[in-house]
Amino acid sequence: MTALFVDEYPAEARLVKAAFLSSFIAFGIGALFGIIQALHRTDIFRFIDSIKYYTVLTGHGVFLVIAFTIFFLVGLYQWAVTDSLERGPVDIRFTWFWYGLMAIGSFLAAISILAGFLEQPPMVLGAELRANVLFTFYAPLEANPLYYIGLALFLVGTWLAGIDWFRTWWAWRDENPGERIPLRTFMVLTTMMMFFLGSVGVIVSILVFILPWSLEITESLNPLLTRTLFWFFGHMIVYFWLLPAYLLWYSVLPKLSGGRLFSDPLARVVFILFVLLSTPVGIHHQYMDPGIAEGFKFIAMTNTMFLLLPSFLTAFTVVASMEHGARQRGGEGRFNWLQALPWRNPAFTGMALAGLVFAFGGFTGIVNAGMNINYLVHNALWIPGHIHAQVGTATALTLMAGSYWLVPQLTGNRLVGRQVALFQVVLWFVGIVFMTNSMFRAGLVGVPRRTAEPQYQGFEYDVPVGSMGELNAQLALGGTLLFISAMLFLVLMLLTVFNNDSEPIVDGTLPPALSGPEDSPQVLDNLRLWFGIAFALVVLAYALPLAGIVAQSGLFGQDIPPFPVSSEAVMYLEFGLDYVGALVT
Amino acid sequence: MRIHQYEKIWIAGAMILIVGFIVTITYGSVGLGITMIGDEEETIAPDELNDDEQFGEPRVEQVGENEYAAYVVAQTFIFQPDPIEIPANNEITFYVTSRDVIHGFYVPGTNINAMAIPGQVAELTVEFDEPGEHGLICHEYCGSGHHTMEGLIVVQSEDEFDLTELSAETPDTVAPGEQIQLNATVENGQLEPLETTVNAEIGDQTFQQDLTVDGKSTQNVTFTADSTQLGVGEHDWTVTVDDYEETGTVEVVSNETDEQAGGDES
Repeated sequence: MTALFVDEYPAEARLVKAAFLSSFIAFGIGALFGIIQALHRTDIFRFIDSIKYYTVLTGHGVFLVIAFTIFFLVGLYQWAVTDSLERGPVDIRFTWFWYGLMAIGSFLAAISILAGFLEQPPMVLGAELRANVLFTFYAPLEANPLYYIGLALFLVGTWLAGIDWFRTWWAWRDENPGERIPLRTFMVLTTMMMFFLGSVGVIVSILVFILPWSLEITESLNPLLTRTLFWFFGHMIVYFWLLPAYLLWYSVLPKLSGGRLFSDPLARVVFILFVLLSTPVGIHHQYMDPGIAEGFKFIAMTNTMFLLLPSFLTAFTVVASMEHGARQRGGEGRFNWLQALPWRNPAFTGMALAGLVFAFGGFTGIVNAGMNINYLVHNALWIPGHIHAQVGTATALTLMAGSYWLVPQLTGNRLVGRQVALFQVVLWFVGIVFMTNSMFRAGLVGVPRRTAEPQYQGFEYDVPVGSMGELNAQLALGGTLLFISAMLFLVLMLLTVFNNDSEPIVDGTLPPALSGPEDSPQVLDNLRLWFGIAFALVVLAYALPLAGIVAQSGLFGQDIPPFPVSSEAVMYLEFGLDYVGALVT
Repeated sequence: MRIHQYEKIWIAGAMILIVGFIVTITYGSVGLGITMIGDEEETIAPDELNDDEQFGEPRVEQVGENEYAAYVVAQTFIFQPDPIEIPANNEITFYVTSRDVIHGFYVPGTNINAMAIPGQVAELTVEFDEPGEHGLICHEYCGSGHHTMEGLIVVQSEDEFDLTELSAETPDTVAPGEQIQLNATVENGQLEPLETTVNAEIGDQTFQQDLTVDGKSTQNVTFTADSTQLGVGEHDWTVTVDDYEETGTVEVVSNETDEQAGGDES
């Protein structure tokens, strides 16, 4: 047995643990908010005001898809770079600096969201401290400037993390001239290239338009422009959530299955395809938006369809690697090898179930991507069904399963409650099946997403099979199981961290691929080339739509004032509503 | 680059599937004519909506034979007009914009789905086959009252549907011996002429007149009653055109009393 990561790289292990700690805190709060929503929107148990629901919803989004996923990503990637290059960062103080920026940024964003629960939020930077704008923060809804500052700091921290890993790699390259980039480092570097390119949209949106406008430096903005810039970033970010799971599926899952990765070259191809295609597709989130020509939507649609390719390749390689592992363990027959897989290992079972849900989620994604079918499901509950299958399970369950394997190596402690852990990952799977089944079906009858009370006065949903009551019960049951599963995970992690007098029983070595990097052309490692092509594709996909939006209604829009979501605004709105009502009648 | 034979087959299969998806969607757009919301419409600043010819008074308008336009304004937390009354079996083109934040325009269970973005106008054309009522909801979070934002689309059968508007008025008071003039105005918003009958009652006197209102125009009818016959006191009046009715009162006030009675008209 080789030395544990914590023994070989104690300084780096500390950072990875800090990142995971931040990630898990966010996960706990986000999961709590999740069950509150599941019970509230189904009208099964409402203990908060429906206005506060949107505070909960904002928190659920930001804590889970920004903080939980990205903090885990930076931890995992720090481990992957260190372990695969067998060296630490050039300067670990820089590493802590970017972690600090991310932590401060998420803290600022978090308090601006959580202040929404106060009856009398304090005034900060000239506005009430609130951020009930959801994680998409579509202007002209306006949050406190602190929220945008927090997000900006978090993004800058993430950028610096990427730069840090590139520096580490450059240093390694000087020490190891002519060698191929180790696979895990290759995955980290390509993921970050994708992030650099795609996050430009949201960074420009925040720093140039929304933050100055929320600070009253600029008076107006163009809501379609900031929305388009958000989605410039918004589809890349889903792959940013997903690629840590891919890294685990490609590097750790084959080993857990008892074998080796099937193909190293195709793993590289997959990550390159994500660099190329994950940004010039963002407009597929805006099929229903006026002001973007149909042709651009068509281009985004075709790009999106080609983005299926890397996921299909992944399905093949991962299943082939699992089969290889199973046969190494004595599995035989066309399908009987499945029985030879280590199903009692929570890390394996969690990842395998996550992959299964990902396949299903992928097919629902094809529906979303089909631009004319999208009319049926856009902003319906179908969409969160898709999201919870993807980031909520493919990513989240893989990260939890990966933690069962990785955290013992980071702490030097044995995993507590292996049986409970196995129960936990299966419970998550069962929970997500109930919840997403309900969401998909409810979405098809038109139940909208992102609302506190999807019950309306003027009509009732036409549920062809079953009833709304049954769909609501499934959603609430699924949400409850997911919450219990999340809490079990956190408890096991906590107990493992304090399980000092133990030796872990994991082996951290990862075997090389069956078909190694020597089978792939050198050009795959030419990161400049791929970045250049990706840049060109983004320019092709976005230059004209963005120019069109700016030409139509200007860089700063047509006198669009902020719309703060605060209690005062509510009173103002109600007054406005009465006034308009009087005009109408 | 060495790729396993099975994997080559898999990649080929995946590519066929991907191209197949693109082909079906292209067929939907070109063959079936499912168009996407695009950028054909002019932009409009939210603070100019009130002065706008189309959105100043959100409404349904006939624009051609079997073609209607519906101008809809979404704002926190209502849709205007509400309800939106449209005929079945006609092409309805919705023009949707927002007065304040980003809203949604969604009829659950159908493919009527658009974003209402301040500054932009979403255009989508639909047709309802059957009369009936459909809920209209905002499906984009728009603030604290988002979940209350709903409207109604009322689809009427073609025969039943019209864009007729009736208004009527009389003086509040008249002196005995004066004539009571009841002015009724019938507006026909449709393109075809409207042939109808105006019925009126003032007190116990009844009137009837056939009327043809040309497309997109207005006709006035005046009925005259003698106040002496009606006598001093309050008298109710009613005007009906098809299903529309207007009512009010007129008071015949004797010269000695100078009392002002409140007339009612709308």
